[in-house]
Amino acid sequence: MSAIIEVEGVSRSLPGTPPVALVVDVSLSIQPATFVAIVGPSGCGKSSLLYLLGLLDRPTEGNVLFNGQDMNPLRGDARAQIRLASFGFVFQFHFLLPEFTALENVMLPMRRLGKLPLGEIRAKAQALLEGMGLGEKSAKTPDRLSGGERQRVAIARAVANDPALVLGDEPTGNLDSQNSARVVEMFRNLAHEQGRAVVCVTHDPDVAAAADVQISMLDGRIKETSVRPR
Amino acid sequence: MTGQLRLLASVAARHLVGRRRQTIVAVSGVAVGVGFFLAVSAMMIGSQNDFIKTLIDAAPHIIISDELRSPPPQPGVSLYKGAAVDLRHYKVRNEVRGLKGWPEILRTINALPGAIGSPSLSGAITLRSGGREEALTIVGVDPAIEEKVSTIQDQLRVGRLRDLESTQGGIIIGEEMARRLGLGVGDVVGATSASGKSRSLRIVGLFKRGQTQFSSGLGYVLLREAQSLLGRPFIINRIGVRLADPYEAQPISRRLEARYAYKAESWQERSADFLSLLVTRNVIMYSVVSAILLVASFGIYTVVSNSVSDKRRDIAIMRSMGFSERDLQLIFVFEGLALALIGIVAGWLLGYGLMAILGSLKFPIAGEDQRLPLDRSARQYAIAAAASLLSGVIAAWLPARKAARVDPVDILRGAV
Repeated sequence: MSAIIEVEGVSRSLPGTPPVALVVDVSLSIQPATFVAIVGPSGCGKSSLLYLLGLLDRPTEGNVLFNGQDMNPLRGDARAQIRLASFGFVFQFHFLLPEFTALENVMLPMRRLGKLPLGEIRAKAQALLEGMGLGEKSAKTPDRLSGGERQRVAIARAVANDPALVLGDEPTGNLDSQNSARVVEMFRNLAHEQGRAVVCVTHDPDVAAAADVQISMLDGRIKETSVRPR
Repeated sequence: MTGQLRLLASVAARHLVGRRRQTIVAVSGVAVGVGFFLAVSAMMIGSQNDFIKTLIDAAPHIIISDELRSPPPQPGVSLYKGAAVDLRHYKVRNEVRGLKGWPEILRTINALPGAIGSPSLSGAITLRSGGREEALTIVGVDPAIEEKVSTIQDQLRVGRLRDLESTQGGIIIGEEMARRLGLGVGDVVGATSASGKSRSLRIVGLFKRGQTQFSSGLGYVLLREAQSLLGRPFIINRIGVRLADPYEAQPISRRLEARYAYKAESWQERSADFLSLLVTRNVIMYSVVSAILLVASFGIYTVVSNSVSDKRRDIAIMRSMGFSERDLQLIFVFEGLALALIGIVAGWLLGYGLMAILGSLKFPIAGEDQRLPLDRSARQYAIAAAASLLSGVIAAWLPARKAARVDPVDILRGAV
């Protein structure tokens, strides 16, 4: 099976004297239908690696390949288009747009992609929310939802455009154990039932334990990779 | 509007609705700017148009007189073109004043579409009545033609220009002159020309007081009466021309002068000093009023700039979702555009109201209640809208650029 996304000898450092190294010489490849957890202490470069994988940031060295294509030469708009069509992000803080309802938040990436008529977009967003158990709360704005509900809306929004890769940055970091378990289950479903690649940066041992592949990082480097049999 | 632009516009609209108070303040700023722009420019342009209309209507659009701007070249200069010929102390032949070949000139003028030429003869006479004498310039005209060329009929307090035709030896003088001579309509006055001819004239009309030129020093008689009194039969020394389009006066006067050599003066040439003053006045007016619009655009800048600062987290998440830098820039430009558009519509209503108030005011001028001349043309509304839109978009574009340059990683890393 070919990798969705690969990084080859990737480094990322911030300018300064001396430069601050965030990620150092990392190589890995992410396969479809795989749930990958990146773990490690704070400041070890987990989130920086996630932003490189998600094309939000550019490496100072090395290559990032999406479906075998080198992403480095692409300009910002082309990278944004790939993020829109093929990637979905879930963050620790839900990051829903506060002026929009849950339904409208889920509709946003689909409307921006513009591949479906508005009626179908609305129906698909409603179906996604119902799949998350939020069908009756679709008309509520984020300030009228609980933390767990907001995060489920954020997951619905992340998968709205049927992305090949879902990236989570501490997605359970702000949730209680019950909601955490629910989110982990959703991520496993995204990988195993829907065939997407899921990469999660986490401190949560339960999330890490649920992943198919666990990548441990230290000081910007990959220290260890362990694969858990399904 | 495409679906994607509609999406960006809806995000911009939500931002503005979410910041209702700031939005209202910014819109009010634009509305006040546009409203006062309309009110001030309506007064300024209205008074200017009124002034120009008076200039155009006060006299014929072109006046062809029996003067030459430069003397005709001497035969020696014409014969030896380009040679170093210097003639001094030569005696110029005394020519009889008057427009030679004027029927031909008149035919040329009347052949122009919508144009009409009125021949006239003017000269100085003295009016005598009861031992009082007053100098007067008389203008001999054909009333039927002259009333089409000038607005002289409107200047009459008593009588009509046509009364000159129905009364033997009729004359129209100003109220001021009549008062000095102690005469009124129907009275007879003695007239003597410089050539020594005398006759009695009957007053058939009076020009309004306050029209200085007409009221004190000018009188109108029939053309043949003037030719007889001044001893210049069949001669005219002026053709007044009225054109269908007064603004064509300059090129037509140049053509006529080039063809017939007589001085042909357009109304613009006669009023060049006034017209240049109006240009200066307009520059000052538009500078001041544009400053008002510019200040209004600061309100838009503040709202959009605050919006960009407050929405940094939303910008980051939208970038991560796949919205491009251009999308983000457009959202905030749309915010400025929306503020400007709503402000413009409100400003139009405000300006319309202000103009209605200004238009209802009456001012007593020369004994008559007069209203302010206002220019309510769509052009002023369009100028105000275009200036506000432009300044609004520029004011929004500056912070919008900042929004587009927000690095999502910086925001996501900081989780602010």
